[in-house]
Amino acid sequence: MRNFDIVHPSSWAEALGLLSGGDEGTRAFSGGTALMLMMKSGFYAPTRLIHLGALEARCSFIEATADGGLLIGAAATLSSVEASPVVQRSAPVIAQAMKKLANVRVRNVARVGGALAHGDPHMDLPPILAALGGEVLLCGPDGERTCPVESFYTGYLETRLSQGELITGVRLPPQAGWRSAYVKCTTRAADDWPTVGVAVSLRVVSGAIADARIMVGAATERLTRLTSAEAALRLGAPDAATFARAADAAAQEAVTVDSASGSAGYKTELLRVYVRRTLAEALLNGAVQ
Amino acid sequence: MKHHDIMPAGQVGRSVPRLEGRQKVTGRAAYTHNLVLPGMLHAKVFRSTIPHGRILSIDTSAAAAVEGVHRVVTGEDLRAIVAEPYFGPAFHDQPALALDKVRHIGEPVAVVLAEDPYIAAEAARLIVATYEELDAVFDEVEAMTSSAIVHDVLKPAGTFPDLKHLVGKRDTNIALDYQLRRGDVDAAFASADHVYEHEFKSQQVMHTPLEPMVSLAAPDGDGLLIHTASQSPSFVRIEIARLLGWPENRVRVKVPYLGGGFGAKLYIKLEALVAILALMVKRPVKLSLTMEEQFFTITKHACTFRIKSAVSSEGRVTGRRCEVYWNGGAYADIGPRVTQKSGFTAPGPYDIENVSIDSYALYTNRPPAGALRGFGIPQLVWAYESHSDMIARDLGLDPVEFRRKNILREGRPHATGTLMHDAEIEGVLEKIAERMNWSAPFDRGEGHIKRGRGIAIAFKASISPTTSVAIVTIAADGCASLAISTVDMGQASDTAMAQILAEVLGLATEDIKVIHPDTDVTPYDMATLGSRSTFHMGHAVRLAGEHARRQLDELAVSLGYAPGAAYAPRDLFKKKYGMQAGNIVGVGSYIPDYTSPAPKTGLSDNITPFWMIGGTGVEIEIDTQTGAIKVLKLINAADLGLPLNPKIVETQLSGAALMQYGFTLFENMLFDEGQLTNGSLADYKIPGLNDIPPVIENHIVDARQTTGPFGAKGVGESATFGVSPAIANAIHDAVGVRLTELPLTPESIFNALRAAKSQAGKA
Ligand SMILES: Cc1cc2nc3c(=O)[nH]c(=O)nc-3n(C[C@H](O)[C@H](O)[C@H](O)COP(=O)(O)OP(=O)(O)OC[C@H]3O[C@@H](n4cnc5c(N)ncnc54)[C@H](O)[C@@H]3O)c2cc1C
Repeated sequence: MRNFDIVHPSSWAEALGLLSGGDEGTRAFSGGTALMLMMKSGFYAPTRLIHLGALEARCSFIEATADGGLLIGAAATLSSVEASPVVQRSAPVIAQAMKKLANVRVRNVARVGGALAHGDPHMDLPPILAALGGEVLLCGPDGERTCPVESFYTGYLETRLSQGELITGVRLPPQAGWRSAYVKCTTRAADDWPTVGVAVSLRVVSGAIADARIMVGAATERLTRLTSAEAALRLGAPDAATFARAADAAAQEAVTVDSASGSAGYKTELLRVYVRRTLAEALLNGAVQ
Repeated sequence: MKHHDIMPAGQVGRSVPRLEGRQKVTGRAAYTHNLVLPGMLHAKVFRSTIPHGRILSIDTSAAAAVEGVHRVVTGEDLRAIVAEPYFGPAFHDQPALALDKVRHIGEPVAVVLAEDPYIAAEAARLIVATYEELDAVFDEVEAMTSSAIVHDVLKPAGTFPDLKHLVGKRDTNIALDYQLRRGDVDAAFASADHVYEHEFKSQQVMHTPLEPMVSLAAPDGDGLLIHTASQSPSFVRIEIARLLGWPENRVRVKVPYLGGGFGAKLYIKLEALVAILALMVKRPVKLSLTMEEQFFTITKHACTFRIKSAVSSEGRVTGRRCEVYWNGGAYADIGPRVTQKSGFTAPGPYDIENVSIDSYALYTNRPPAGALRGFGIPQLVWAYESHSDMIARDLGLDPVEFRRKNILREGRPHATGTLMHDAEIEGVLEKIAERMNWSAPFDRGEGHIKRGRGIAIAFKASISPTTSVAIVTIAADGCASLAISTVDMGQASDTAMAQILAEVLGLATEDIKVIHPDTDVTPYDMATLGSRSTFHMGHAVRLAGEHARRQLDELAVSLGYAPGAAYAPRDLFKKKYGMQAGNIVGVGSYIPDYTSPAPKTGLSDNITPFWMIGGTGVEIEIDTQTGAIKVLKLINAADLGLPLNPKIVETQLSGAALMQYGFTLFENMLFDEGQLTNGSLADYKIPGLNDIPPVIENHIVDARQTTGPFGAKGVGESATFGVSPAIANAIHDAVGVRLTELPLTPESIFNALRAAKSQAGKA
């Protein structure tokens, strides 16, 4: 690891200014839990890191929006999200998933911005936030914009973040009436990266599934929405037969990849099982009020 | 407890808390990693990127030009200090840096020295080597016949008496072929009611000590001082002195606490390189490996074991043929001893008239393999205890009953001809059966969750013949210090040895000072390995204590005390010297009797000073939809003689079992053409707290090692033995599929279930 500078901006504008040089060696640093590993392995050698943790005072908010949705600042640590009563009330699936996300030491320093920006398909937050219909809030040289979480990832460690842009937060639409669940499975040690992660959100109206979002992570090269599985659910009764049809559609649709934690073929079979189980769990979890 | 009557002072047999516990948990214990010396240079190794090839060129110019780099060194440069810089315990086959050839990916080829370790690491990336690639061989069975030859010349070391006969086979990859012939195995097969033959494979894995390997050498007058995280300071001194052509006393080796060893830090590893570098640059040189670099340094043998048994219709095993192939990687390290010492136990703890064993240590183009907790035994037990259940199931016999029919009992000859004594194979088997409630009905689960249970038992011989020496110094105030070269690497040897000495001298364990290995001060010990310290060093410490005690008694009599009268040692010194002055020094040296196996037949009437017996029973649950496996109950039992410290024994049992648990369920070094593809702890998973079975029991079987110090013997490995086959046997019990390759992953269970289903569909 070579020497590098670390700078502490006091505003997003200042942070953007520091990034504007277009220098490959300059990069945002939020909790550093992913970045330090890349630096240690020689995968990335920075010359200057922009410490976004310095914006904590103004950008770690976690608040309910007027329409009943949720707004989380990029500098919020994962543990603050986990402990937030607002999150527990309006999107309990996030708080539950946190318990099994890395470990308390990582959660105490990793921040929502880093968790969204990193782009490793094994991460837990992106599929959950995508299933909840979340949007990434971005700011850059050309101003602010948003991008749905579900389409934010373009490949392994690749996102729609443009050069010079930063994530300022994430916004969720109102969750009332939605039932959600996230289930991941590991095939080696219990605290391994997941082999498959499935996040679902359902809305059941008069005994039929009115709406559904199903996201898969880990088993695929990037976060993927399983639209044909969703279609298989729509207007069906929320029962085992419908869930099994959706699971088969998911297995048909997802392009799984080989890795040290399992072959693509095995991951497809796991996906089939876990789509079913996650749907059942969402149903059990009940609807957000 | 019943052993108290033979231990009147009550030091031995008491669960004394670890002497070093407080130091460690308060962060005060010093490790080699923390050591910084004035003027010290950091070394970073540049490694081979091809599995087998001739070195054509090494361009170090860009690395040498980096600001802050002191020097860049290649293998040829080392020859200025040591003409033949090859080391190793069995063969002198391993160069401190590659010479002429590279033999595995990750082999050290050059090294950068700099004051800043990060600069050394940056510069090492700039080194460029070119090679003429040679055919490579990776698989141990292919290595038997491969035309790719890893070593053109074989160089037996001749260091250890038990490996004296070692020559290797030129123009092959066979470093050692051990054979045993007992009775007439062909006749047994010819007349058998049933013959069973199976093949089992174990994968290559790593020790993963929390403290990665680290060594630091510093010129010291006309000698050399080596600080190293080593399990074998005496061997390091001898081997460095041999390389340099020096007398042993010019080399001083110091070892503080180790952050785990498990066999990774045995014999000689980084020490030769730092020693030569320090002499070359005349400054202290430190080499600290990263966790990831350890994958290229030492591993556990992958192994293929073909086992064939002749069995009578009543379920008695009458003959057994074992062919074992050990994947030793590019350098022999201690692989030949694994091949032989483990090899002769390959038929298992069973009473079998006719036995034939062929055990081969093979060179391949993988990272070297050496000793790892269990020393080859877990690979063998994996096969023979899976095989046991397969036979029992086929014959419709209960697996425990089948073992009862066949186990080796007191006084019966083992395959080598050595008669079994103090080996509670039966005690271990019955303890597990009892704790598993084996004869009661068993809940087999429901729906897609199926439950099963399995057991396995095993034994291990101690490495022999080996020597331990201890020195006890009594100070004039009556307190005692114990100088030994046993390394406390977390197994609590300091505490156990202090207990023995305290028992002999009538002192409190907590008041004994244990002096850590420093070859200028602490006497010879073969090494801290193979669960040998309790027995060998334990005896040496006992003898040293008794020697000191005798001298004190004689002193008392010479000062006018009646023979046998009580005295306080401090009064003796005061009386003799007129003040608080003087010392009494007690020395103990121990080597057990041993008969080398006859080269042709492998037979010996005294193959080991003691047997370690261990076994495991498990209850598991399988999710048949995903193949996921959950171990609900892990029951370990061992014969370790009388426990010197029951609490420490328990942690050795659970620690050993959990280590093998990782090797059983997921640890696996994956290779693609010799290239390790999961060489980091993000991708090579070891068990964590969340993997630990909800119920673990560790049982000390009622036993006594009549030849051991205070009835004790070693225990560090015994609970590794049975874990893998117990789990495989339980999987079979739960869902009817048999896995013969480790690790037992959910995917392999899932695939086996699928295959069984489609088989059933066809039938
Ligand atoms: C031991 C361990 C276990 C883990 N286990 C899990 C797990 O089980 N599940 C899981 O989901 N994750 C896991 N992780 C990953 C962890 O969630 C991520 O490392 C973490 O979320 C990254 O956040 P950070 O703030 O530390 O990001 P950093 O490491 O600081 O940054 C990561 C990347 O994002 C960029 N970046 C950071 N902030 C911004 C921003 N605001 N705008 C634009 N770019 C930005 C950085 O430049 C860098 O490229 C684990 C990590 C570790 C170390």
